[in-house]
Amino acid sequence: MGGVDHFQYLLLLACCLLITLPLEFVLSARVYRRAVGLAFAIIPVVIIFSIWDIVGILRDHWSYSTRFTTGWTLIFGMPIEELVFFVVVPICGLLTYEAVGQVLTLQRRRSRVGEADPYA
Amino acid sequence: MPEYTLLTLLAVVAVVAAELIYFKSGIFATAQYWWTMLIIFAFQIPVDGWLTKLSAPIVIYNPDEILGLRAPWDIPIEDFGFGFAMVTLAILLWRRWVDRKSPPKEVRQG
Repeated sequence: MGGVDHFQYLLLLACCLLITLPLEFVLSARVYRRAVGLAFAIIPVVIIFSIWDIVGILRDHWSYSTRFTTGWTLIFGMPIEELVFFVVVPICGLLTYEAVGQVLTLQRRRSRVGEADPYA
Repeated sequence: MPEYTLLTLLAVVAVVAAELIYFKSGIFATAQYWWTMLIIFAFQIPVDGWLTKLSAPIVIYNPDEILGLRAPWDIPIEDFGFGFAMVTLAILLWRRWVDRKSPPKEVRQG
């Protein structure tokens, strides 16, 4: 179990991607399919929040469990998991945003049809 | 004020200011944005809760740098500001890209 423990943080993030994946297809979020836009939104977020993360490490705001992380670190001891977090969570956010947009559009269309159709 | 608390407040103010002064996307006036944030916060509880639970934390906070208000579960209250700033910034950038590709004012025919 010790081996799996080190991947706990990464597995949690993998679950986030897995759970939100249907939004892309079932609700036509079309986020992954607009990869350029996705990169445009994600890259500044990754840069800004990685800097914050490193400031937090250097200023001793937080540290990371050596048991539940892989131990693979980037500059200034920032765990690779944090970088993945700053990519995964905004992706989940954008998928949710686009999926909500689709649902609201569908609802609006349906209520408009309802008004026009006396039998609806 | 604890430093993480201060940085979180600054981040929230900075993102709101970025929208009002620079992006001007109007997302704060849309149901789409607020429903999204509600859903994101709902999912933040299990995910962030798992990361910060005091029984077996993955992320360990220095108690001197947070307010010490940890709820729900053991989530430092500041994390909600962190999440708000991060997801809102991503949406603002995404909107900018989407709107540039297909300006919202143009009426799509057919």
